[in-house]
Amino acid sequence: MCGIIGCVGRDAETLDVLLSGLDSLEYRGYDSAGVALANGSVAVEKREGELGHLKNAVAAGGDTSDLRGPAGIGHTRWSTHGPPSDENAHPHTDCAGEVAVVHNGIIENYDELKADLLDAGHEFDSDTDSEVVPHLVEDALADGATPEEAFRAAVARLEGSYALAAVFGDSEAILATREGSPLVLGVADNAAYLASDVPAFLEYTDRVVYLDDGEFARLESGSWTVTDREGRLLEKSVSRVEWDAEQTAKSGYDHYMLKEIHEQPQALRKCLRGRVDELTGTVDVDALAGLAAESVQFVACGTSYHAALFGAQSLREAGVPAQAFLASEYATSPPPVSDGTLVVGITQSGETADTLSALREAKNRGVETLAMTNVVGSTASRECDRTLFIRAGPEIGVAATKTFSSQVVACNLLSASLAEQGDARDVVEALRDLPGQVQEILDSSRAEQVAERFVYSEGYFFIGRGHHHPVALEGALKMKEITYEHAEGFPAGELKHGPLALVTSETPVFAVVTGRGEKATKTIGNVKEVEARDAPVVAVTDGVSEVERYADAVLEIPETHPRVAPVLANVQLQLVAYFVAKQLGRSIDKPRNLAKSVTVE
Amino acid sequence: MTVRAAIVLAAGEGTRLRPLTRNRPKPMLPAADRPILEHVFDALIGAGIERLHVVVGYKRDRVQDHFGPTYRNVPIDYVVQKKQLGSGHALLGARESVADDEGFLVVNGDQIIEQKMVEDILDAFEDDGASTMLAVTERADVSHYGAVVTEGDRVTDLVEKPDTDEYRLLNAGVYAFDASIFDAVEETPRVQGELALTDTLVRLIDRDSTVRGVTTEGLWVDATYPWDLLDVARELLLGGRVTEPERADSVWVADSATVHDDATLQGPVVVGPDSEVRPGAVVGPFAAVGRNATVGANAVISRSVLDTDTRVGPNSTLLDCVTGQGVALGANATVSGGPGDVRVEDRVFEDQPLGALLADRVRADGAVSFDPGTLVGPGARLHTGVSVSENISERAEVYR
Repeated sequence: MCGIIGCVGRDAETLDVLLSGLDSLEYRGYDSAGVALANGSVAVEKREGELGHLKNAVAAGGDTSDLRGPAGIGHTRWSTHGPPSDENAHPHTDCAGEVAVVHNGIIENYDELKADLLDAGHEFDSDTDSEVVPHLVEDALADGATPEEAFRAAVARLEGSYALAAVFGDSEAILATREGSPLVLGVADNAAYLASDVPAFLEYTDRVVYLDDGEFARLESGSWTVTDREGRLLEKSVSRVEWDAEQTAKSGYDHYMLKEIHEQPQALRKCLRGRVDELTGTVDVDALAGLAAESVQFVACGTSYHAALFGAQSLREAGVPAQAFLASEYATSPPPVSDGTLVVGITQSGETADTLSALREAKNRGVETLAMTNVVGSTASRECDRTLFIRAGPEIGVAATKTFSSQVVACNLLSASLAEQGDARDVVEALRDLPGQVQEILDSSRAEQVAERFVYSEGYFFIGRGHHHPVALEGALKMKEITYEHAEGFPAGELKHGPLALVTSETPVFAVVTGRGEKATKTIGNVKEVEARDAPVVAVTDGVSEVERYADAVLEIPETHPRVAPVLANVQLQLVAYFVAKQLGRSIDKPRNLAKSVTVE
Repeated sequence: MTVRAAIVLAAGEGTRLRPLTRNRPKPMLPAADRPILEHVFDALIGAGIERLHVVVGYKRDRVQDHFGPTYRNVPIDYVVQKKQLGSGHALLGARESVADDEGFLVVNGDQIIEQKMVEDILDAFEDDGASTMLAVTERADVSHYGAVVTEGDRVTDLVEKPDTDEYRLLNAGVYAFDASIFDAVEETPRVQGELALTDTLVRLIDRDSTVRGVTTEGLWVDATYPWDLLDVARELLLGGRVTEPERADSVWVADSATVHDDATLQGPVVVGPDSEVRPGAVVGPFAAVGRNATVGANAVISRSVLDTDTRVGPNSTLLDCVTGQGVALGANATVSGGPGDVRVEDRVFEDQPLGALLADRVRADGAVSFDPGTLVGPGARLHTGVSVSENISERAEVYR
């Protein structure tokens, strides 16, 4: 998991373009960063730690720095091979320092390649898998190849997943390719860009070319070409993106996470726009037109997996057999499928390697695939038969918030579309009220006070039943991700089968209870078990049941349909996690060891 | 000199508009189909302003959430005023933001202005060496606002809320300054802890500094009391100043709205995005239906402003009614229209054109009726068949 940026044709501004691109890619990883510029030879600067370290090093070089030239590449890293260090930071160079390479992905055969290169006398500076690439290029150059031939020859020997970009001392072009890792080109009149993600160059151009696996790009100041593995020229279409580069700023909030929590009403309105009609009680989503499925298998990771659990449950209620699988498990231990099976991959970025593998596994077995994603043009949306966009807008905070809410709403749209009958009218009405109800929570939440009260606890438990089981898991995941405190979520009934042993007066239990039916009554029974162990109870509730009587603190949510209530309950838990992390002084938008979009398996 | 930056003052609650300001500041209240502040931004951007520095304070998340980091591709820099200690104090907070600007505009974020006013003051400022200017416009009655006295193009006095009818010139709340204004504000003595920008201007005038009045004209609307929002909507609808596409003469309907074939829209009327108007409903004239609102079958709505997410039950009648966000009225609600006596804080305003004002998330069951001039507080719950009048407090429950 890393971010790549490249730029050619901006002359004296190359370094500034690279650094500002890295700023907007930092969410992809941030344990080291570096840049390389071609100007007769290759000048490299790279530093361990946050991007600020690199910027300081660059600034220290001042005007005498040789970090200039018409073509450059940059990289922000999230460690896979070798710890974060200056040496392991990208770009990597060959022995002679004539070629510099940045890489995102994993080179699976790097051990043998490195052994061969060492035998041939190459010297390595880093522990990374990536460093084999410049040395392979160097070998080919030594055999008399042109830079482009050498780059192709090196890539031909790689196995694994990669997005690669290279600059050469004596060339003013950037060469790049991808296989299983994201890479997008940005084209302007006199300049060209490449990046792992569009916002990195959106400030300069909104015209993009999506590179496909196995394609090679050559960027020069006035031109760009894309070729296949054999070097045949390909006709690529140029698309315009509508994302606003400034949308990635924090708009007055201390953290992207809080900004994104507050964006949920608007995000949900966009997710629903034109897709529901309350008068007729129908859901009408273009991407799902004519879709039928005898059974559904969801594949997803992390927060998206919690949305998948919700999706599977609501489909089962609608009479469609459905299951949710962790994508990493599905890819290696796939369950049986039949002709009528639909496999739905939920991935915010559309680039999650585990989810892509699972979807490819499904595709290989000939079943229909649907991507549920936030990113137009992402790999998942291009590889699947259909795509349901959740329209949440860019999410920068590593901890997913608004995209979870939009995913849950999108799952509701999916199950209403696939269900043959049922109470779509009630759900549609509730969905239309949902954005305003989320706003009501944002206006009145007492999550900050609850966070202050329980901030120094030994651990946090979250329980919920039915549709609130995924909420319990998601509430705990948010708490873990950004506070680094121990947190676990359980189905409410499961607590007494083991985890109850962990419950003490120092471990608050967040119980999500809405409505008045059997699920509520039974969850209240579980709350009483917890209370008997002296654990503080925080009820997240619509106030319909009597759970408040057993609670030490209450987080209120408006009353609504059971299939929509999880979104509301989750917003309260997002806020609790945020305020606990803030009290603890954590790096909320960039928690340690985590990256926004995980493009390695 | 080209002026590129504007400081927009949007930090104040607007206490006289309570209870509508329970969850948001006055600049975010509905002016026909969108917030007041959007009209202000449109006027500024239309006149060529390229950077917006918005001073936010009271319930600032509502401003930030609505606009985000940019509006119409113009970047917004939010300046936080933690305590709202007057317009001068708010302005000081933005000092750093315009440190590189020779000149800049300062605009009230809670009054609707027209692009032409901004253009006029920009033209005058760019032509002339004077460093302190304000836009002046003629009105029949300025007794509730800021009055201006001029000699030629020089301002000789500013009188806040004069309460007499001898003045005809209004301070439109659009200023052009250079950086010297900040020192002048700092030197102004505070009155009861507050620092008003107009006090600074009066001091400058008293010391014979030139404060120039730029005469301009155009739409200028301010809401002082809650029922004024009805007038604001009326003015904007009459002037066609709504953003939705015009479907028929003075009938504006968002593309994403659903209006049933058997519903009637009587212009001027605007129906916002994601809204539904059901069969048999009659909406308008002078009605603004906000985003994602629902008008039930056979409901009649006229001279009213329904804010975001409002639901009006079937067979309801709403005349001269203002609703906040997320108001839900059951079947057969009746707001039979003004005039009525309205109590705001300790004052009673007689014969005001207000049927009823329902603050955010008021919920009414079926067959609830509202006497003229009723104010219902946020989150109040009115049960079946009640008839309410005067003031109902926040989160009150009313049973028959």
